[in-house]
Amino acid sequence: MLVRPSREDLHVIGYYLGRIFYVVAAFTVLPLLWALGGREWAPASSFVLTIGAFALLGSLVASRPPRERKLDWSHGMVVVALTWLIVPALGSLPLALSGHFGRSLDAYFDAMSGLTTTGLSLVQDLDHLAPSLNFWRHLLHFLGGQGIIIAALSMFAGGAGLTLYYGEAREERILPSVTSTARFIWGVALVHLIFGVAALGAIAHFVLGFSSIRSLFHGLMVFFAGFDTGGFAPQSTSLGYYHSAIFEAGAAVMMVAGAMSFGLHFALWRGPRRADTLRNLETRTILSTFSFCLVVTFIGLATLGLYEGVLGLTRKGLFHVLSAHTGTGFSTVPSSELATWGGLSFVGVALAMALGGMASSTAGGVKALRVGLTLKTLKDQIKEVLLPERAVVSHAYQQSGRKRLTPRISQAVMLVSLLYVAMFLVGAAVGMAYGYPLQHALFESVSAGANVGLSVGVTDPGMPALLEVTYVLEMWLGRLEFVAAFSLVGFLLSWVRGR
Amino acid sequence: MMRRLLFVVFCVALLLGVALPAGAQEVVVTVEDLLESPEQYTVPGVPEVVVHGELVGDFGRRADGIVWAQLNGDAYAAVPLLAGGDLAGSNLGIGVRIPADLWPELADVAQAGGYRLRGPLVRLTGAWRYHDPARGDESYLDVTGIEVYSNPVLLVDEADWPPFVLGVLFLCAAVMIALSTRRRQRER
Repeated sequence: MLVRPSREDLHVIGYYLGRIFYVVAAFTVLPLLWALGGREWAPASSFVLTIGAFALLGSLVASRPPRERKLDWSHGMVVVALTWLIVPALGSLPLALSGHFGRSLDAYFDAMSGLTTTGLSLVQDLDHLAPSLNFWRHLLHFLGGQGIIIAALSMFAGGAGLTLYYGEAREERILPSVTSTARFIWGVALVHLIFGVAALGAIAHFVLGFSSIRSLFHGLMVFFAGFDTGGFAPQSTSLGYYHSAIFEAGAAVMMVAGAMSFGLHFALWRGPRRADTLRNLETRTILSTFSFCLVVTFIGLATLGLYEGVLGLTRKGLFHVLSAHTGTGFSTVPSSELATWGGLSFVGVALAMALGGMASSTAGGVKALRVGLTLKTLKDQIKEVLLPERAVVSHAYQQSGRKRLTPRISQAVMLVSLLYVAMFLVGAAVGMAYGYPLQHALFESVSAGANVGLSVGVTDPGMPALLEVTYVLEMWLGRLEFVAAFSLVGFLLSWVRGR
Repeated sequence: MMRRLLFVVFCVALLLGVALPAGAQEVVVTVEDLLESPEQYTVPGVPEVVVHGELVGDFGRRADGIVWAQLNGDAYAAVPLLAGGDLAGSNLGIGVRIPADLWPELADVAQAGGYRLRGPLVRLTGAWRYHDPARGDESYLDVTGIEVYSNPVLLVDEADWPPFVLGVLFLCAAVMIALSTRRRQRER
């Protein structure tokens, strides 16, 4: 029997949602300051409205504080799922008011894409967009990539930390407390921010010959989109705009750093556990899948004969497989050219997108640990069939120490992996229903569901609204890795049908 | 008014640009043509193409005396959104490689088109290098001739008061609700 949520349940959820909205309102002050500094009056007005909307909604939902501020598992999941639906809704206000979007749904699509670090975009005339709005789009990457909840947890936690932390698809607690883990994650991001912006800005200024202010702007935007594996770019031609292998290499370093789990960052920073990290199942899996996808793509591109030189083929193939596998979505070729990557090159890039980065990173996709555990489960099953009955098959794996692969873990891992596959197929089916060829529909669906952002041109301001909604849902589900989203559905069902 | 004026300037400039004497080998194309059928216009089959559009983004002035920029050939070059132009889809842009000595006046142009600035409208002549092996298979227009037929135009971004007023009202309401919530909590 379903139990209808009580008022106290709603008060608990509202209380924490309110706190999170306050945090987002505080972050929105940054683009407001940018707009005021640049005398961008219309965007500045829209940021004031957004701050006001977040603050008002936050105060309204938190206006009935619960008697006990204890957040149980289901509350936490509902808070997370609602946060990731409502923040893009209000966060899309400056975009919708900018006049660069055909309909409000397009602006919501872009805000969801920004927050979930997907990078697909429906913005029109990006090349004339106000810098403060461009900053807002990229800041959404940063907020979403680091985790809005993580941001909130850094400032307030109480007893609510753990459930909110896991709800946002974080699987690894690096330090003993969730608050200290959240602060560590933001610390890592800030250190990378300083070095990343300095490096990319220096390349833009000294190598590409941009003015100093514009170099800083490009460095900051590309850092946000690269480190948070987002994929938005400040200009319409993505990273092809820079015409520089050095700049692409700089962005690639950011993408790799972003796709690494924060646990791995911690191990690399702290030293003694460095050697262990290379033995971890997750690290070995991602290195293997990346190499596999790269080889497949190279063979595919060589077969197609699109690129004449070995250097060009290597540069294009390596960059796009890296962009796909880390879930970033930067591209150095127009989407019309990417659409011609057929055969094995399509398989290599699409597979890389679907597999994704490491767990507890800013990347999307199925994630390397799940892929590794799925393969390990299959390998063990095959061994059990092939070996004599009395043979003992080890079900252990190395991941920050020796761990046992229990049937329960195997089931959970395979279930989520299958859900991803099902989601990709449903998205592709909707695309095909609108007349897009299978290859393009599947590519775009995987790109949306795995939060990548590479596009073969299906994502376009003129795309059907239903397909747009499908991609929005895919981005949301992919980012939350299903659990929090299903909890919200369960909560709503209990509300309607419970007693 | 601004919209009409810009449109007329664009059309006249475009006509003037097209009417200029062109070499026998030149093929007049649009940026869209180059993006949709890039291999059709590439060297050596087509030695030179002529393409019109707006220079946007940054002028990347490199140490080797080359300036890189982006040429957009979309509807926003004619009438930018800030001047009342209509939405017409995503930008259509290609990279252009301009030898600095080909356009000495470029030193005086600080910024290409962007927010509040419709960039210079140009008629570029050059070789379309599709997947140039010498540059890691990049595609770009190797410019050999440039003519600026409309200088950059500053656009006005007017303040939008209704969202500002609504935002301030929302903030005031939020503060009042938060204060009232805190008072009720204390009374409990």
